Amino acid sequence: MTDSHRYAMLLSALPAHGALFAARQTPLSRLRLEQRLTQLDDEDARTLRTLRTLLEWAEQDPRSSDQAVLERARRLIPTLPDPFARDLADWRLEMRTLICALRHRHRGEPPPSERRWGHGRWSGQVHRHWNEPAFRLERACPWLPEAARRLDQGDALGLERLLLRTVWDHLERLHDGHHFDFAAVIIYALRWDLVARWTSYHHERALTRFDDLVETALDGVELMPEVAA
Amino acid sequence: MNELVIALGWAGLCGAMALGAIGSIIGCAIAGQAAIGAMVDTDSGYGRYIGISVMPSSQVIYGIVIMFTLQREVTAETAPALFGIGILAGLALLFSAVRQGQACASAIHASKTKPEIFGLSLAPAAIVEGFAVFAFVFALVLAGGIPA
Repeated sequence: MTDSHRYAMLLSALPAHGALFAARQTPLSRLRLEQRLTQLDDEDARTLRTLRTLLEWAEQDPRSSDQAVLERARRLIPTLPDPFARDLADWRLEMRTLICALRHRHRGEPPPSERRWGHGRWSGQVHRHWNEPAFRLERACPWLPEAARRLDQGDALGLERLLLRTVWDHLERLHDGHHFDFAAVIIYALRWDLVARWTSYHHERALTRFDDLVETALDGVELMPEVAA
Repeated sequence: MNELVIALGWAGLCGAMALGAIGSIIGCAIAGQAAIGAMVDTDSGYGRYIGISVMPSSQVIYGIVIMFTLQREVTAETAPALFGIGILAGLALLFSAVRQGQACASAIHASKTKPEIFGLSLAPAAIVEGFAVFAFVFALVLAGGIPA
């Protein structure tokens, strides 16, 4: 009778998320969040840890190959005892598979030759309709044509905003009917990750980094006097 | 057979209070947990949160009043009426207390983020209370028709 309100205390102790792109910082620090999440029971804590290991960008090793990431997902997702967590992990990894396919195609590469190259339902569909703008998935994934367009235009920031907004809205929809249960905790934690990711982007630092890269690339290159002037 | 009917009569007599108490226990616990969580996250309004969290305690009081109103000699003639009124009123009180606790938890959670909606957020809990009052009042009315 009260399972739907199992985490009433925990969720009431977490400050509300505001609008994603208006956030200047996360509503509470990572340390505080981790402290509050100690109220989860052991199995739920393990589930959330596994889910964040799979989905949070900060937890990903950039040196891992796609195959290693897929293998890890195939190994870990079936171990999640909560069906809500399993479905969410599948949805996010399917989305990443589609973005990965868009990026490969944008680089002019042919469709992947491996049989199990991606995660989830859409691998075969993407393979069959590689040259269609949105792999004929416009209905299932309404965000995909826009993502393809932004990628083709080289609008990296617009693409990032679109993807974050899509995940944010999906979590918002899933939140219906889950106010104080474990699913609500999962949604809160994943939205916190999105806010943390968005607020970690720093325009000025990006410009400085870009200048450094340009300087490194031009090191030793002599410019013509009129250009240098 | 007669003993079973008498036993059911006693169950009805005690049932209104017992079921109301169970509902109040669960409802107050749910709302109370939300109140404690809200107090961790805020620096003021503690009394308000605790005040809301005790709203589901009224059901046990209604149950006690119904029990005293039903109290009379339990015979084969009075037992069926005592059972029907006591158990059904008790179930209504139980469910209303649990649901009111959940409504209170949501009100606490919402008013923590937007204090200006504090009054309005209590409307669902107040409406649930109204239904509990219906069950209480009509149990009293019907109890008046049971032979003493």
